[in-house]
Amino acid sequence: MIEVFRSVINVISVVAIPLFILVFLGWGFAKKVKVYEVFVEGAKDGFTTAVKIIPYLVAMLFAIGIFRASGAMDFVVAVFSPITNLIGMPADVLPLALLRPLSGSGSMGLMTELMKTHGPDSFTGILASTLYGSSETTFYILAVYFGSVGVYKTRHALPAGLIADLFGALGAVLIVRILMGV
Amino acid sequence: MLNHVWIALILIGIFVAAGRDVYDETQNTYRNNVPITASLEVKKNITDLRNSFQGELVLTASSFNQFYNITSAQSEIHQPVIVSQLPSGIMTFEMAISDATPEFWKEMSKSASEKGKLKGTILSLQNNSEPTKTISFVVERISFVKIKAVTKAAIEYADVAVTISLGLIGVMALWLGIMKVAEAAGLLAVLTRVLTPVTKRLFPDVPSDHPAIGAMIMNIAANMLGLNNAATPLGLKAMEELNKINPKAGTATNAMCTFLVINTSGLTLIPATVIAIRAGLGSADPGIIIGTSIFGAACATTAGLISVKLLQRLPRYKKELEGEND
Repeated sequence: MIEVFRSVINVISVVAIPLFILVFLGWGFAKKVKVYEVFVEGAKDGFTTAVKIIPYLVAMLFAIGIFRASGAMDFVVAVFSPITNLIGMPADVLPLALLRPLSGSGSMGLMTELMKTHGPDSFTGILASTLYGSSETTFYILAVYFGSVGVYKTRHALPAGLIADLFGALGAVLIVRILMGV
Repeated sequence: MLNHVWIALILIGIFVAAGRDVYDETQNTYRNNVPITASLEVKKNITDLRNSFQGELVLTASSFNQFYNITSAQSEIHQPVIVSQLPSGIMTFEMAISDATPEFWKEMSKSASEKGKLKGTILSLQNNSEPTKTISFVVERISFVKIKAVTKAAIEYADVAVTISLGLIGVMALWLGIMKVAEAAGLLAVLTRVLTPVTKRLFPDVPSDHPAIGAMIMNIAANMLGLNNAATPLGLKAMEELNKINPKAGTATNAMCTFLVINTSGLTLIPATVIAIRAGLGSADPGIIIGTSIFGAACATTAGLISVKLLQRLPRYKKELEGEND
């Protein structure tokens, strides 16, 4: 069942982009849109949008860089580990859960490291990959998306995003414990 | 909240780094000025430099661990070094950091005087005529390891931010171009109409035929399929459209926050990267995490949507959206 689902999704993922391009541009042409001109008109914004993001992303990433390089994560882990021990999250997975919203590449490295030490099919390995696979780099998305439209007052987006991350991590621990029977 | 989290990351980072450096200094974690004994095997004389030769420092793991009060060294250490004698008679050495270097020395070399190298001075040398000598040496002074790391990270990450942003230009231009054609052809309007029952609930403030809806649907679809290259440009297009109906420039609207939470919850049907890494590490069933990831992300999305809808009613967040542009 899951195999069928997986192969169907795989095929869709592979053909999606060519299909999008074909349908969108083909439809446009059929509707007598001046496709080339309109495309170029839209594409012009690509540069300005990318450049607009820079200050927001610099602000976000440099703060995260300082935090990570200082080794402050060890202290945060020490503060939270009594709580996560209660719900059955292994101590070495906690840094991954905390790092996931902050840094995409950092948490990917950490996940790979955990799977290397514990084995990809161990409880820790499956939990680590589930945690990584089921969430996103919240701070990065926040900086890029809001940055692109010059929004700096982000209101409740960050608290809601962090609550989502928290419940995502709790859900991951729960489902992996059920799956592995621990 | 972002203000607080942002400044907290920076302040905690700098204070922790400074605190750890002070601790390392008082505890002498890096054994500055403390000599250690090791064997030195002479490998090859460097002929054109009469007073230098290549050698190898040999140290047992246990004596290394004991000296630095650590547990990380596992096997006997064989560290290639270049030894040279200064005119004054003092013998110094230089080790190039390689895979053979123990982790602790690798760490130390990051804040050493020269990048990728660790220098030191030989204090005494016995069995001078034999190829294997017993030496006692000190490694160069290592201090402010964390503060140096923080400085380096601040500058490096600022650079990375620019690289990432500029790297987006190509795909951004491509997808914005395609979306513009789709918009002109009325295709987005068709897509929007089909999903109106859902989008009306999620984004009540956005008119149901607004182009923002179409862009958001495209972005969420691309995210679900794991098409990261397409998802970001489509998401930014959606933000641009949402910003057109933003009454207060520079402030996030409720619709923007909702849209952002859907994105940060990371609902993906196939986490392709993770599966590839698992397969690479020899997992018997790399795809087993598909189901668990979808469950985790569904929990995140549900919790995120509920909290975004509840939080937007709080007076402090409501107030920010009211009033004049500032």
